[in-house]
Amino acid sequence: MSELRQIAFYGKGGIGKSTTSQNTLAAMAHYFGKKILIVGCDPKADSTRLILHEKAQCTIMQLASEVGTVEDLELEDVCKPGAAEFDPANTDITEGFIMCAESGGPEPGVGCAGRGVITAINFLEEEGAYDEDLDFVSYDVLGDVVCGGFAMPIREGKAQEIYIVMSGEMMAMYAANNISKGILKYANTGGVRLAGLICNARMTDREYDLAKHLAEQIGTQLIHFVPRSNHVQRAELRRMTVVEFAEKSDQAYEYRELARKIIANDLKVIPKPLEMDDLEALLMEFGLEEEVEADAIGKKATA
Amino acid sequence: MFICGYHFPASMGNKIEFDKVIEKVTAGAGDVASVGSIVLTSETREGVKLEELSVPKGSFLFTALVDYYKNTDVEGDFKMIYYTNKYQISEISKAVDGGTTAEICKKLDDMNLYRVKVA
Repeated sequence: MSELRQIAFYGKGGIGKSTTSQNTLAAMAHYFGKKILIVGCDPKADSTRLILHEKAQCTIMQLASEVGTVEDLELEDVCKPGAAEFDPANTDITEGFIMCAESGGPEPGVGCAGRGVITAINFLEEEGAYDEDLDFVSYDVLGDVVCGGFAMPIREGKAQEIYIVMSGEMMAMYAANNISKGILKYANTGGVRLAGLICNARMTDREYDLAKHLAEQIGTQLIHFVPRSNHVQRAELRRMTVVEFAEKSDQAYEYRELARKIIANDLKVIPKPLEMDDLEALLMEFGLEEEVEADAIGKKATA
Repeated sequence: MFICGYHFPASMGNKIEFDKVIEKVTAGAGDVASVGSIVLTSETREGVKLEELSVPKGSFLFTALVDYYKNTDVEGDFKMIYYTNKYQISEISKAVDGGTTAEICKKLDDMNLYRVKVA
């Protein structure tokens, strides 16, 4: 049996983390027979919907509040088998499977979401969800690590291998650099490593070059450039991954290739985040920011 | 680290010399002398075919496309080229093929989808 790998997908809100992670994990199960547990760490609880073919899974925190405490829950209440081919009982297409759990969190504006995340992870561990048959546990984590709560999977030494989902847009690059800072902070104490950037492309000019340069400067790799495709949206409308929806489509092949690389990946580094000036210089070099004369900063536009 | 689909161990770092990549790609392509021609096509993301490009024999670009066609697990007669691979192949070709492939590489750097067929 291979050693359990605990990976996490981080990235700016709205960048397509959940879509990218579910499609990639689906490809790992479908094409490579991997056995996976997804732990959604986003209060939106949308990290498993495409695997379950559901709107949103009931979260551990939600169920715990209904029954009293998390100790009153049973594993099968919160950890559900994926639908169709991702169900462990269904081996028609693949020996691989995906189990799904969502940590959930407090209502918006109330409490710390990170506490929900760590409570959920501890519960799953104690109840035996991290079964010895598993090849991967994958955490899908909201936003960036500016909120310490969402750094929980890193801080507590749960996620060891981080993939940052980004694009060639300015804020996605800032977020990727910020997440690298978070990883660096806990790299020596918890052993977490950056395993690569995944460019979920917006199809902007020179996007590949920009993402590759950022990856190189941070000390990691651009592991894959995922092009934009209407198949992704079509599949999402049916609450499915592209791998299930159109397994022989170009986009399904792209996710299969990313899955293959993640399975074989051994480049796990302590990142070297950029200083703000260097990041801005990079953005300027690739035309995302225009150079501004020093005396023009803070001045209003002329009519 | 993955370039042109090949895995380079972590001990080699995150900047792999082009020579190392060319070595693997050349070995993967095998005997390119027996290859008659390569048909490289571009299309929009909506699937509208744009043009057919000819690839100069003897270039790295030629070898890399033969290697890709032979070794990729993409199915079909015309095999779609992963975006990551087309950008990586273009980057190396621009560096080692001189001006012979400059025009094609400029096209490969765009956002269109490319397919290849080796005859």
